[in-house]
Formats: sequence, structure tokens, C-alpha cells
Amino acid sequence: MAPKYKLSYFDMRARAEPTRMMFAAAGIDFEDERVSFDGWPAVKPTTPMGQLPVLEVDGFKLCQSMPIARFVAKETGMAGKTNIEQAQADAFVDEIVPLLPTLYDVAIDFPTDEAKRAEQAAEFEKDMVRRLERCEKLCGSNGFLVGNSLLWCDLVLHTVGDNIENYKPGTLKSYPKLSRVMASVNANPKIAAWIAKRPDTTF
Amino acid sequence: MAPRYKLTYFDVRARGEPTRLLFAAAGVEYEDVRITFDQWPAHKDSTPMGVLPILEVDGITLSQSMSIARFIARETGMDGKTRLERAQADAFVDELEELIPKMAGVVVFPKDKKDKEEKSKELDKLIAERLGKCEKLSGSDGHLVGNSLLWCDLVLFNIAHNIEEAYKAGTMQDYPKLTKVCDTVKANPRIAKWMTERPAGQFDF
Repeated sequence: MAPKYKLSYFDMRARAEPTRMMFAAAGIDFEDERVSFDGWPAVKPTTPMGQLPVLEVDGFKLCQSMPIARFVAKETGMAGKTNIEQAQADAFVDEIVPLLPTLYDVAIDFPTDEAKRAEQAAEFEKDMVRRLERCEKLCGSNGFLVGNSLLWCDLVLHTVGDNIENYKPGTLKSYPKLSRVMASVNANPKIAAWIAKRPDTTF
Repeated sequence: MAPRYKLTYFDVRARGEPTRLLFAAAGVEYEDVRITFDQWPAHKDSTPMGVLPILEVDGITLSQSMSIARFIARETGMDGKTRLERAQADAFVDELEELIPKMAGVVVFPKDKKDKEEKSKELDKLIAERLGKCEKLSGSDGHLVGNSLLWCDLVLFNIAHNIEEAYKAGTMQDYPKLTKVCDTVKANPRIAKWMTERPAGQFDF
């Protein structure tokens, strides 16, 4: 029987990875469609808002990466145990996710002009430190951002943190509570298995 | 007895108003604390993330305007009837949200005339892009999603009001379904009452 979920995104981790990790953690089969940049113009008009990712479920197409991730988090019990926990998880995601596109612009799609590149990198790092410091301050001390179980916000942190470490190794050492969250995600056996087998992409 | 919820924000609509509209629509009492920009530096360190709005409830302080609004939407049953509806409502909010700070940059905080002109051009483009997408996906019966008033309708209404009143009147004419959603919000008696009572604010934004 065909999987209930079809996730379409580019061949990257980035905005779709937290959702993929949740399917893995919950042991849920899903169609992991990856659209090439060449194939994208043909796919674009079939999407609700002309963007990826899109999640097809029950004949419906959901769009916007974080609403999709939150939806799957609720399906898999990883949204937060109470209304308040869910709001706290949402707030961490709101704080962390803006780093994804700006990190992409300094690590992958950076300007060729050296001076511009340096300026952009400096701005990014200032913003990154501000956000990581805020998250470190509010992060739980037991290996989870919120409460006492792995939630989707931990996976969003892991996706971003992973890319930050690829960009400037050792950055997260300055954030011990956040580092513990990264370790919790890595220690989850189903997620570790997914990380080991997932396609190897630059971002 | 003190209200269960205490919302603290600047004395403007902007990022705090969707939550205020939700409280109004649901008829839920709350403490509506407004901080002027002068008072802010003294307050900043007492907030979890150094930003407003914050919502205090049950001894916990929540941050991030849209997370707060979604929380209150859940508490008041205005986040969506099904899991799919809730995801659709979230998607509309994500699409619209950026219009608030981008409009603030033109209406409230432009550096000078040239800055205002440049930012206006960018804002026009962004409005056309975001409202265009929302118009395409909006329901046709006066609700963005499903058949009941949801928080995404209030987020849209807040932005549309600012576009019409503070930026470029007549913009919403190009978006008939979205205009219908805003009319539905305006017609809600509790919202209509709030709009006559709400403070003018430090800025009309």
C-alpha cells in the first residue's frame, strides 16, 4: 500500500529535514520526493504557493515548511505535551529557523565579491550569536529545549546546528545546553539510523 | 480575580494585535499592558528573549508573537477544526507575517525620504506576492480556511487594515476573496466593539 504521506522538496536537508527526521523517529513510511533544480519549473505550478516543501496527505497538499513540520509533529506526538509546551516549542522554532536561509547565503550561495562576502558573514554571525544565546538561556538543562522529551523544535535546532557546524566547526561548544540537545537527537536510535542512510547533500 | 492572561507589547497594533483580536473575538478577559518605546530599555532584560510581545500565563512567560497568537487561538478554539485546517491556517500566517515588519519599515521607521521610497517599492512587490498567493488559496465564503473565523483571518485583517489605513488605500480591491474575509471579521460584533474601544496607540500601526 502506498505511504500515507508524500513529502516533496529539493534534494537538500534544510527546511524539510525536521519533517523527515520526525517520520524516521516515529517509524512512519513516507515518500521522500526530491525535486532537482532543473525539474522545478515543471513542478512549481502544481504546488499551492509555488514553493517547496509540499506535503501530500489524505488527498490534500499542505505548504510552508514549518506548518508542515508542526502538522507532522502533532501526528507523531512530538509537538509538545501541553498547550504551553507547544507554544514554547513554537517560539524556539521561530527563533532558530530564520538562520537557515541566511546561513545558506553565507555558506553555500555566497557573493563572489570578497568584501561583500565578509560583510554578509559578519552580519550573519552577529545574528547567529544573538539567537543562539537567547535559546541557550531558555533551553532546558536535561537535553531537550522544552520539557523532558524530544520535540520537533529539537530537530529544527539539530538541522540548523548541523549546518552551522559545517560552516564553522566548534561553534556550538559555546552553548552547552544546546549541545546537549544536539547529542539527544543524535542518540535517538531511529534518527541516528536515518542520518546514517539519508542522501548526502551539502546543506 | 486577576485575568489569567497578561499580554505585554508596545502601544501599537502590529505584532500584538492578532492576539488582542483573538481575546476580543472569544470574549476572554486579559491584561493589555502597553510599553512606550521610552520605557522599553528598562523592561528589556526582564523578558525571556529581550523582545516583545510576551504573554504571561500560569506562571510561564511565552515569547514570539505568532507562537503566542497560535497558543491563544488553541485556547479559544480558533486555530482550526481539524489537523489539516490548523496546518492550512498556519501556512496563511507564515505567508502574511513578513508584511508587518516590512510595512513598519515604510510607515513608522523610514530613515529618510529616499529610504522610504526604496522600501515602498519593495513593500509593493511583497504585498502583491503574498496577497496574491493568499487570494488564490483563500476560501470563497469569507474565511481563509474552512467555514469559521480562525486566527489566520485576524492576522490578515490586522495587516489589511494597516495597508488600507496607513499605507495605500484601495490596495485590497484587487483581492476580492481576502476583502470578503476582512468584511467577515469587521462584521463580528465583538471585534467591531473592540475596534471602537481599542487605544489609538503610540503609532497608528
